Amino acid sequence: MEISASVHLTRSSGFILDVDINILPTGITALYGPSGSGKSTLLRLIAGLERGDRGDRIRIVSGNEVWQDGSSFTAPEHRGIGFVFQQQQLFPHLTVQGNLQFAMKRQHVQNNIDTSQIYEWLNLHPLLSKKIDQLSGGEAQRVAMARVLLNGARCILMDEPLGSIDVRSRSRILPYLDRLRRNLKIPMVYVSHSFDEISYLADYLYVLKEGKVHAKGPLMELSSDLELASGQGESAATVIHCTVSKHDPEFGLSELNFEGAKIFVNAENFQINDSVRVRIPARDVSIATTRPENSSILNILRVEVVSLEESPGPSLLIKLCRNNQFLLARITRKSLRMLGLEPGQFVYAQIKSVALLNENVAD
Amino acid sequence: MIDPDLISLAITLKLATVTTVILLIIGTPLAWWLARTNHVAGFILEPIVALPIVLPPTVVGFYLLILFSPDSAFGAAWVSLTGHPLAFTFEGLVLGSIIYSLPFYVQPLQVAFESVRQDLLDAAATLGAGPLDRFFNIVAPLCRTGFVVAATLAFAHTVGEFGIVLMIGGNIPDETRVLSIALFDHVETLQYQRAHLMAAGLLVFSFFLLLIVYTLNRRWKKQTHMRVKS
Repeated sequence: MEISASVHLTRSSGFILDVDINILPTGITALYGPSGSGKSTLLRLIAGLERGDRGDRIRIVSGNEVWQDGSSFTAPEHRGIGFVFQQQQLFPHLTVQGNLQFAMKRQHVQNNIDTSQIYEWLNLHPLLSKKIDQLSGGEAQRVAMARVLLNGARCILMDEPLGSIDVRSRSRILPYLDRLRRNLKIPMVYVSHSFDEISYLADYLYVLKEGKVHAKGPLMELSSDLELASGQGESAATVIHCTVSKHDPEFGLSELNFEGAKIFVNAENFQINDSVRVRIPARDVSIATTRPENSSILNILRVEVVSLEESPGPSLLIKLCRNNQFLLARITRKSLRMLGLEPGQFVYAQIKSVALLNENVAD
Repeated sequence: MIDPDLISLAITLKLATVTTVILLIIGTPLAWWLARTNHVAGFILEPIVALPIVLPPTVVGFYLLILFSPDSAFGAAWVSLTGHPLAFTFEGLVLGSIIYSLPFYVQPLQVAFESVRQDLLDAAATLGAGPLDRFFNIVAPLCRTGFVVAATLAFAHTVGEFGIVLMIGGNIPDETRVLSIALFDHVETLQYQRAHLMAAGLLVFSFFLLLIVYTLNRRWKKQTHMRVKS
């Protein structure tokens, strides 16, 4: 199922949402942008929870069904979608089990959903008999996701699903989401203003700004876009694809293959040849013009300088590339002068910290 | 022969029950619509519903009497349909009570409906629940207390009605003589013993009804407070 939305909507406040987007048939399409950029409105339009006013031009198409066009409008209950809200969406008069049964009774498609599989993915068994007000924020969101899956949604829309959860629980729930991303073969749309979450989960990215699509593309490309990254400030980071090539139990490390180079990381939970995402913060990458010897840093890659950020500040971002993948490094203006870096030059990137994104869920 | 006061009691209870049941059917969608609408008609309808709270009952009664007259279109239609005019009948009392008790049913229910968060209804919709499904399986159970409070107030208010009944129902034994009218009669005829019994009975009854309402209200507030906190 492929969903596309073409929206031109004017709010009485003067805000204009003017976007055209296509949702990937599988994997996560992320809508990213600051609050007020229109990303939640766009998601609610796709769901049919909002329909715009007279004079707005909205066309939402899913496969061969037209959900909204002109005066035709399919009610949200007939769209076969699942929607995960930011918070407080579970029915408080029902238990966890009751909430899940509500969804199962109203299944959109009569597919053979493997209930036990979903319970296992989201680790639900300890929660089933609880009342809704006994759940933590993270637990409540897991139940909300299960409810959507048991409902047989043909597409899942998530509106800042981790937005009201504290940072520590957030890192615990992200792996559950990633597990869904890898196991479900349906389109998923993820709205967030956190680039951390986006870099963890997204496959394709739309960057929204003031009601317009500011940039779009596969996450790997956009995460290394200098202009976008400079807006991230200190949290700028790139995401790269690697494959697991070897485990070294003696040191508790695994060797990943990144475009022919080796990256060492703790990845014991993965199988050889598994494809993994690695997130590399720009501030943890330093540059040397010759291969550093006798360094404690394990991950040293030979890369080419692609471009330099135009920035008046004391530090700047440098875009580096190895074959078709990119890295960002944040260095001081002084270092730039000392090393005399120029686009096209080959240098060594030393990576101090490497975060494996698809960590397995600790069951 | 049955004590005429017992007959008055039976008429009163029947009137209050019928009125409450009809309000449940017509007042509920009205309260829901008022709670959810942004339509301009809502701004006009809301004070109209509340009018009986502030109007002297005799004013409502007077206009109803005119409406019931066979000279009016409504009154004439009623006569041609049933063969008798609406004034001074039990049906007339029911109609008057519905109008007079409407705000006491609609307002508490509207407040309860307004407290149901839109996110819950949106979530239910995306899970495949249509409008009626959402109302009966999400809104109704969440507003259980609101329904009990609204129905109790409407019932009690109908029991305590006097002015309208006097205007449109008169004082016909076995037909429209409700408790409040019977009490008035006893005082007029100086039967203080009977008046005392009836007045005290109504007082105790009203107290216990209000006790139920306020206890439920307090519990409901506590629950919603907890929900908001979590």
